[in-house]
Amino acid sequence: MIELLTNPDKFFEAKMGEEVSLKIPALIVLIIGIISGIGAYFMGGLTAEMLSGTLPPEAQGFLSFIPISTAITAVIVSFIIWVVFAAIFFGISYTFKGEGKFKRTLEFVGYGYIPMIISGIIGAIFIYYIVSTAHIPVVTDPAKMAGAFEPLMKSPMMQLSYAISILFMLWSANIWVFGLKHARNLTTKNALIAVAIPVAAYVLWTIYQMGVM
Amino acid sequence: MRKTIHSLIFLFLFVAFAVSSVSTVSSVTGEQKSSVMITGYQVNPEVPMCNDLGTVTVTVKNMEPKSVNINEVQMLSQGIKVLSDSYFNPGSLGPGGALSLTFTIKATCPDGIYYPKVIVNGEGAQSIRYSFPVTVDSSPLTIGVKDVPEDIFRGERAKIELVVGNSRPNNVTAVKIVTEDKDVMPSEVFLGTLSADDSEVATFYFTPQVKGDCVLNFKLQFKNGDNYHYTDLSVPLNVTESKKRAELILTGIEVESMPGMNVYKITGDINNAGLEAANSVVMKVGDAEGIEAMQPYKAYFVGLLNADDFSSFELNVKVEGNETQVPLIIEYKDEDGILSSEHEYISIESTQKIVSTGELPVPMIAVVIVIAIVVIGMIAYSWKKR
Repeated sequence: MIELLTNPDKFFEAKMGEEVSLKIPALIVLIIGIISGIGAYFMGGLTAEMLSGTLPPEAQGFLSFIPISTAITAVIVSFIIWVVFAAIFFGISYTFKGEGKFKRTLEFVGYGYIPMIISGIIGAIFIYYIVSTAHIPVVTDPAKMAGAFEPLMKSPMMQLSYAISILFMLWSANIWVFGLKHARNLTTKNALIAVAIPVAAYVLWTIYQMGVM
Repeated sequence: MRKTIHSLIFLFLFVAFAVSSVSTVSSVTGEQKSSVMITGYQVNPEVPMCNDLGTVTVTVKNMEPKSVNINEVQMLSQGIKVLSDSYFNPGSLGPGGALSLTFTIKATCPDGIYYPKVIVNGEGAQSIRYSFPVTVDSSPLTIGVKDVPEDIFRGERAKIELVVGNSRPNNVTAVKIVTEDKDVMPSEVFLGTLSADDSEVATFYFTPQVKGDCVLNFKLQFKNGDNYHYTDLSVPLNVTESKKRAELILTGIEVESMPGMNVYKITGDINNAGLEAANSVVMKVGDAEGIEAMQPYKAYFVGLLNADDFSSFELNVKVEGNETQVPLIIEYKDEDGILSSEHEYISIESTQKIVSTGELPVPMIAVVIVIAIVVIGMIAYSWKKR
């Protein structure tokens, strides 16, 4: 597995000689989903506290489901994003006359998620720190939730968290380049382009969320 | 001759009857020496006011060297209403003995001098009638302002002197002046007995809390005998702002959120823009629904704040519900120790959002830099190894 991080080209070249298996990639995505779920749990708790003023006393019990449901959603979304990224890579590589099954692309994209485990852990720690030190107002109008969250999303801690996630995303993208190269039998240049387009879009969107743009 | 004899007999009989009559009268007159008299009377109150209840005490004395039995003593009056009954058989008076009898009266209107009568009937003694004067005078005590400052300033103590005069012909007792105004101290001044044609001065201290026109109401109370009487006095005043007093204003107010639910830290400067010092300045969070002062700074003691001086302060407050205004109370004392307070409101509307501490721990920045180096290194390494 270390070879995946240090020399992904060789790792995927070796993997091409094996049967396609989604067990390990799915496990990797699951781990990322759980870590994301922990961060989402904290944010869900924050949201529940803010909404506590909008619900009548008899409906306050509903608020306790918000953190749990947010965490479960984060796990499910992790798998969806995995499939979506693989599909985008597969689609773009199609223009470069790429060859190979989608399942192999899905497998290699899953392996590429490994660096994001580290960024997920760091992100969860950051979110915990932010939530535990934040002033949490009681929002009386649910429509004002986005406005209430705005300062939090633009706080220095959150921006640092974004920067870290971008760094690890670039690391994952580097792995995906070599993964796609072998999964779709592309040149390194074409694989780089196929990966760079969606990743660049993702990075730009993240930077936009940071409020830099 | 016979006529002459008859005339002589008639004359004899007449003379004999006359002598007998004189003898009888002399005997009766000797018994009537047993006599009583009124030797004194006392009216309380000395000069009643209209509708006052009072008493008249008369002293009946036996002036003879033998006992006299008193059958009845009664008091009659057309102008004064006698409320008590007559005395029947009050007893026997020994030689030179005296008896005091008291009657309850009610002074009627109008004012004037009335002459009630006391009638004493004694057994074997002359009945006597004794009239005495009772003066009814309804003149009240007078109360007025002796001295009041020309300018009265909000938050500053003003000395108000009232004078009470007794224009009545008698003494009055339990004289006191009462006020219910909460800004006036003391609430009551007791002057005690006030002699006729005398006056006393009562001093009050007025510390107004609001400016504008106001009326101070005083009530003069006194007793004439056992009868309470009242006189009211209203003193209109105009309260203005002092040109010299301490004037505390807040500047540089900052509202920061603190970790937790709706807890804010209010910081800023308190400045004395007046010409006098403010002593023992204390800042507090005022009472309001949904507002709760929090430790460690439920209140902030600033202390002495001289003219043109300032000090920083900090208060912690928890805001619940939709409250967007935090009331602050600034209390201070002037050089006389008079406590004054001012109210300010701090808006917290701009902070109704999630606010993190916003501080980036230095170790975390270092970790990120290390992570960046590691990631770039790993990417570069993987390209080099391919």
